[in-house]
Amino acid sequence: MVEPAQIETDLLAFVQREVFAADAGVTADTELVPAGFDSMSLVRVLVFVEQTYGLWIPASEITGDSLRNLRALAGTVARLLQARQP
Amino acid sequence: MAAKNSLNGCDYLMLGFDHELRRRGFAGNSCQIILELAAPISPDALCRRLDTLLAAYPILRARPGGLLWPKWNAPRKSDPVPEIRTHRHDAELRQRLFNEPITSNHGEQMRFDLVERDGGKMDVIFTWSHALMDARSAEYFVALVGREDLPMPDANAKPPARPRLPLRERMKLAWKNIHQLDEFCKAAPRSLGARRPEAPGVVRHRVEKFDAAETERIRAHATKFCGPFGAAQFHSAVGVVELHQLHQRLAFPSASYVLPIPVALRPKGRVDPLFSNQIIMLMIQFLPAHLASVADAVAEQRRQTEQGMRSGLLDSGVMLAELFRFLPLPLYIAMVKQGLRGEICSLFYGDTSAVNPAVTTFLGVPIEDFVHIASITPSPGVGMVFYYFRGLLRVTVEHSSQALTDEEAAEFSARLRARLLDP
Repeated sequence: MVEPAQIETDLLAFVQREVFAADAGVTADTELVPAGFDSMSLVRVLVFVEQTYGLWIPASEITGDSLRNLRALAGTVARLLQARQP
Repeated sequence: MAAKNSLNGCDYLMLGFDHELRRRGFAGNSCQIILELAAPISPDALCRRLDTLLAAYPILRARPGGLLWPKWNAPRKSDPVPEIRTHRHDAELRQRLFNEPITSNHGEQMRFDLVERDGGKMDVIFTWSHALMDARSAEYFVALVGREDLPMPDANAKPPARPRLPLRERMKLAWKNIHQLDEFCKAAPRSLGARRPEAPGVVRHRVEKFDAAETERIRAHATKFCGPFGAAQFHSAVGVVELHQLHQRLAFPSASYVLPIPVALRPKGRVDPLFSNQIIMLMIQFLPAHLASVADAVAEQRRQTEQGMRSGLLDSGVMLAELFRFLPLPLYIAMVKQGLRGEICSLFYGDTSAVNPAVTTFLGVPIEDFVHIASITPSPGVGMVFYYFRGLLRVTVEHSSQALTDEEAAEFSARLRARLLDP
């Protein structure tokens, strides 16, 4: 079981490295869309989650709420990971 | 001259296209931003502002040079400074100005045309050589010209770091792109670019403007088809479906359609380095079976985008461009020519999303509207650029006269508009 806090840390490190400028000051609470997050950024994050946790986030879970910020996204990933556990 | 004097792989690609476009009788690889102002500005005030920027950024009048390793040559005293011209509006002026060559190899990297319109209004038409900077940078630059209060980006800013791999690994990564193009050739696309070879090498455009209600309606369609981040995906899917319909109407069949999606390499939240092209193309191939509906096109585009991200196609494109940079220039130009002779894409597509929010006033005058016009490679012959100005969607639909007549282009543009509103 991966803790939501760990997922949040992993996601934050990824977007700070691959999506946002280092000096953009992105945190887990930063609102993603106003900060410039776009469809290509989303696909990068989806692929990162798949490669890190073996989970492809279904389209039905890609909503404005789940992608409001990285904390919300980490919560979604944690919930989906928990749901698939036997 | 600023320390940043080398060209990157993408800048180099833009120079190659510029060379080939001129050889084919077109003006070259240049782009325009048009600011529609509420009142006139003074050419002298613009001249003074440009002088300040020229002192800070000598690259604005540098000449591309070098042979094995191209670079910007420092400007000489005799080299031209950006020209500021004034005109009286007429119906064909914008088309004429877009088809006037920029002599970037002689240090002319940009030009300003001030167009007096009825009612005391004015258009500022900013034309620049695409090798100098991409559209994102140009938006910031034009804001910088118009507003002294904006921060001046560092002329020596380093580009975003890309993977530093051993040469052998870089070659392997780059090869993925070539392999992808080989795969495309199994159902080779046939573009409209050379359909009317007798026509002159002229690019024409029209701008589809959408009001607030229409923009909201299109956004709602995009969310329905592609999710909350899918506007660009929706726009390009509608575009390629409509292109397929155009080919059918013209009885000009193509076994597939290749859509190059420009992906910004700039980290989000940052615009510098300003004078640089920081984009790479993700190529998507659609078979006619994928284009029965917008939903089908969206699904296929999503599948290939995800697959491309998984397999590292973006980094592969960057590596390929960077490796090309180390080819001798004549050989590189020969390769670009060869590429354009073949059918490397079916549609020029750009989506710059929201115009930089700093673009509000120009030398103190409010900007009422904004237009992007991109250069168009003759190979596809048809192009479209999507952007939002103050939240309102604008689409510049472009065609080369060697691809479509003006009537055919007008019908294509109208149908694109209708499908965006009712997919």
